[in-house]
Amino acid sequence: MDETDAELVHAVRRGDRRAANHLMERYLRAARAVALAVTGSEADAEDACQDAFVTAIERIDDCRDPARFGKWLLQIVRNRSRNLIRVPAVRRAVALDETAPSAGASPLVELERGEIRERLLAALAEIPEQHREVVLLHDLEGWKHREIADRLGLPEGTVRSHLHHARRKLRQLLGERGMTP
Amino acid sequence: MMDPERMDLSPLDPARDPERWSRVIAVTLMRVEAALLSRTSADGVLDLVGAWSRPILAAAAILALVLGTADAIIGSRPSPLDRASEARRMAVLSDHSLGRGQRPTGGQLLVALRSRSAR
Repeated sequence: MDETDAELVHAVRRGDRRAANHLMERYLRAARAVALAVTGSEADAEDACQDAFVTAIERIDDCRDPARFGKWLLQIVRNRSRNLIRVPAVRRAVALDETAPSAGASPLVELERGEIRERLLAALAEIPEQHREVVLLHDLEGWKHREIADRLGLPEGTVRSHLHHARRKLRQLLGERGMTP
Repeated sequence: MMDPERMDLSPLDPARDPERWSRVIAVTLMRVEAALLSRTSADGVLDLVGAWSRPILAAAAILALVLGTADAIIGSRPSPLDRASEARRMAVLSDHSLGRGQRPTGGQLLVALRSRSAR
């Protein structure tokens, strides 16, 4: 049976590497989704969630409710992401270089994928941040309404409402831009 | 059950570029482990200080005892009034002894000095 967040947090406090890796595996994608919702940039999102994990491990004793590690971590991710987008454009120019894809897909295919990503990110940028978090966690990461509500600290009804509005607005924006996701 | 309303956000899926995503995981893992190691080392220092704290506390208690005793001794130092009274008694003793053509004995001096603490 999977260990609970609380068990893993207690193990990390005792210096258990395996538990730290397990928590990272469990939350890395969600952390990236939340960071992407805040920064709107994949490279910045990756940096932010890495920094957030390091901060979380360093401050694991400050996690007052280990059973709600996910919520605590995602707040760190959010804060780190907000700090990151405040830094001057010089740093962000470096980050953009890091968005270069790995070798594999043909340049044409990669260009097309890149365009689709850019359109999606542009549409996401036009909806409220909390709506972005909800739609990314639900439709990209496959989290359930209850999980999102628990980890974002929102009522489940609010999550459903945010998701509904986010999807409707995104469909409208993407339709205007010739995309039908 | 598949949600028919679900949007296709797969172009934003980090796994679309497995090589890049593996790199992100590896770097995060490395940084997390470094943070954990540094945390464990910091705890080690705290343990060390903790281990020291008991002897330090014992040493502090002994020091406090010594200082307290010294303070008690210093605190029992005669006041100027006591000193004047003591000097007067010594003068009377000396005068008395000299009047008899003798030096006061050690015993007489001790009795004169002790008479202060007896009061």
